[in-house]
Amino acid sequence: MIRIRGVSKGFGHEPLLSGIDLNIPDGIRFGIIGPAASGKSVLLKLICGLESPDEGAIEIDGEDITGYDETAMMKVRQRVGMLFQNYALFDFMTVAQNVAFPLVRRGELAPEQIDEQVRARLRAVGLAGSEDKMPSELSGGMKKRVGIARATIARSEIVIYDEPTAGLDPVTTSKVYDLLRGDHEASGGTVVAVSSDVAALAAFTDQIAMLYDGTIRYQGPSSEIRDAQDPVVRQFVRGDLEGPL
Amino acid sequence: MVGERFLENIGASAMSTAREIGGIGVLCGRVMRSLIPPSMDARELVRNMYKMGNMSLPIIVMTAFFTGGLMVIQSGIFVKRFNATGIVGWGTGYAVFREIGPILIALMFSGRVGANNTAELGTMTVTEQLDGLRALSINPIKYLIVPRVVSMVLCLFMLTVIGDLVAIGGGMLFSKLILDVEFSTFYWSLVQNIHIADLTHGLVKSAVFGAAIALTSCHFGISVRGGAVGVGRAVNAAVVAAAVSIMLLDFFLTYLTA
Repeated sequence: MIRIRGVSKGFGHEPLLSGIDLNIPDGIRFGIIGPAASGKSVLLKLICGLESPDEGAIEIDGEDITGYDETAMMKVRQRVGMLFQNYALFDFMTVAQNVAFPLVRRGELAPEQIDEQVRARLRAVGLAGSEDKMPSELSGGMKKRVGIARATIARSEIVIYDEPTAGLDPVTTSKVYDLLRGDHEASGGTVVAVSSDVAALAAFTDQIAMLYDGTIRYQGPSSEIRDAQDPVVRQFVRGDLEGPL
Repeated sequence: MVGERFLENIGASAMSTAREIGGIGVLCGRVMRSLIPPSMDARELVRNMYKMGNMSLPIIVMTAFFTGGLMVIQSGIFVKRFNATGIVGWGTGYAVFREIGPILIALMFSGRVGANNTAELGTMTVTEQLDGLRALSINPIKYLIVPRVVSMVLCLFMLTVIGDLVAIGGGMLFSKLILDVEFSTFYWSLVQNIHIADLTHGLVKSAVFGAAIALTSCHFGISVRGGAVGVGRAVNAAVVAAAVSIMLLDFFLTYLTA
């Protein structure tokens, strides 16, 4: 269970998140939506310990990680896989080296086993044959898929996806969500995803939360968000022109 | 009003400079802590040494060769006037080993390697690659910064040794071509008057300059804000800061050992 209790975060004098409370149960797929610059990516980084909150606490399986230093946080991050919005591929490594990196650093598998897993993962994201390419040779969509392969290869307990389908065509988007669903069913871990594609994210996740104006405006089953009573949530999800937004 | 603004600008500049110096100090501390006990990614170290050392060799050799020649040209008029051919080797060696070699090679190295290092780390920062490393439970200081700092110190030290030798070679050649000083005269003037302390003085400087270039370029690289424009600003600031650091350190090292 990931518990976020009264978390606030700002940059400079600008508050971004104000007193966020969220409970993300184990083993579910959880989505976070919200307008641009509403703090979705920052919230993911807070969960991963890449940012620290100004106020409040974040617990993972009852362990308060808020005051952890970098060394202690590394142990927490070993349980987390993350796909970044801007891919964060290491540009001095090939595609295969990028995907293999989490497994190589863990040092639990032989090089041949890592090779095999990397090829399988790249095949799964439709990038077979791209092993030796450098990230600079890839399109945005391809980079995104390499990022997904790297985030999922170690089958972490918690996987965080920041905009997993941004820049992908509709067919590839469906394929990616299908892949993520399959991975989740195989690993049984917890997935937290942020996406601007509300419909696709709602279809992929079990529960969803909406961030607006620094607070959680909705949290509940993804299947019910379209019928939410809050006019802000309803307008955002339906994309209506008329409304409070 | 104008006076107030002037004071405000001075205060802001002083704060900004103090912040950068503090940042470099903190980074220095973190690098030192990561080196106890000494452990780093060997592949990263080798990769950086190749990129920073090997790839810088041609430009350093060329600069050093002509620097040696320049020393001879500048001193030629006095050598001829006083018929002091016996001190050309010593004069060239003394200036090259103690001052010109370390400082010129460090400035070249800063322009080529330091600027490139800041741009590379800055790009990695704005594209979230450093966060990517942290998310994979890898300490970016240990994995990326420490090998670069060690590599820059070692490479600049070795490039200074090579550059010194090439500069002496250049001086020897131009002495013969311009002043008609025999190679043997130049050689004996050098070996009989230059002490080992002259050489080590310059090499200690080169190691210190290497550390200064490494720390400033890494600091400005990892503290980039604001995308591509921020990377450009950081490179500019890193090169200026490295040049100023080299000059200040050179002054203090020379003063303390004089």
